[in-house]
Amino acid sequence: MPLPPKLQEIVDDFAGMTREEKLETLISYAETFPPLPERFREARTKMQPVPECMTPVFLVAEKQADGGIVFHVDCPPQSPTVRGLASILMNGLNGASLEEILSVPSDFFLPMKLDEAVSQQRLNGFMGVLAHMKQSAVKAASE
Amino acid sequence: MSYVHPDYLVDTEWVAAHQEDPNVRIIESDEDPLLYAIGHIPGAVQVDWFSTLQHPLRRDFLTKEKFEEVASKLGITNDTTVVFYGDKSNWFACYALWLFQYYGHKNVKIMNGGRLKWEQEERPLVKEVQSYPATTYRARKADKNIRAFRDQVLKQSKAGKPLVDVRSPKEYSGELISMPNYPQEGATRGGHIPGAVSIPWAQAVNEADATFKTPEELRALYEGKGITPDEEVIAYCRIGERSSLTWFVLKYLLGYPNVKNYDGSWTEWGNLVDAPIEKSI
Repeated sequence: MPLPPKLQEIVDDFAGMTREEKLETLISYAETFPPLPERFREARTKMQPVPECMTPVFLVAEKQADGGIVFHVDCPPQSPTVRGLASILMNGLNGASLEEILSVPSDFFLPMKLDEAVSQQRLNGFMGVLAHMKQSAVKAASE
Repeated sequence: MSYVHPDYLVDTEWVAAHQEDPNVRIIESDEDPLLYAIGHIPGAVQVDWFSTLQHPLRRDFLTKEKFEEVASKLGITNDTTVVFYGDKSNWFACYALWLFQYYGHKNVKIMNGGRLKWEQEERPLVKEVQSYPATTYRARKADKNIRAFRDQVLKQSKAGKPLVDVRSPKEYSGELISMPNYPQEGATRGGHIPGAVSIPWAQAVNEADATFKTPEELRALYEGKGITPDEEVIAYCRIGERSSLTWFVLKYLLGYPNVKNYDGSWTEWGNLVDAPIEKSI
């Protein structure tokens, strides 16, 4: 199954960027990181922690009326790289179906050559966020 | 009681007063390198442990020649006072300071409290990147007295001499090396180097404002675990960053004469064939 179209678009964009452009784009993703909706603010316990990240990251998935899945992520502003990466996943996956989300390979980002801009440790965190998104999506779809 | 070498520490006020001092270069070194782009101390330059300070191919730091290039580009002379600050309680700031010392830069300082304290005090952060006229920096021969290699660590362990494991308690015990489904970076075995005592790095700093604990508190912390100034001490973590903060505390705040950072750390030891390991789960 191909990647969700929005995610594929992001992957293609990054593939053609220089290292500097990648960093700038990550910064703009970090700066447009959506605030956590009010209803989750006090409900961190309902969200899933992502222990692979060195930063405290929590996420939750919700099923929309059309069956699409939407993710909400909480991550402190002191961690712009993690915010940027999580924002890429939210932008690329939000609205996709459970099937589409589950079929995203864990190494889908290799063509983006993010390792030019981001340390391997962070990419492990990135994979961690994706894995936890999949788990949350399964849960949300069954609710 | 004060810190043994208080010259290695400055407060935010000192940095604010020296922002335009031509003999001072302020360097931000973060765990998250994008922080600098989002806002930094006016006039500060950036080094990134990963893209600036590592060797592009080997697992090692940049070479002496490359270090000279980096320092020259940042407009640092051999006499410049270099002040480091960063996120995460200055953990990567200490790493950069350690590396500058490794290549022989003498005048180095940490801004106590790092980014967190600067932000708490609502001091200005800017996006503008300042550049400085390039210099011709000359590094010294690498100072192996502050860096430990695996053979020395093995000797230290066998001799029952002090080793400080500064990772989190679960990494020390060996419980944590892999999360369900996702191997953590680097090590195939969990545990710690035999004889190492566990003193997580963060115990040396105040969580509220990222400043270092008082000399009394620090002394009690390390001496209470048998880490005393009369012997050579080797500190390690996972890749040598967290332990550079502990190295800084032991060497400059408490004045231990002989402290080394083992930057190979657990990602080397936990992969090393035939290396002894202790677990405590």
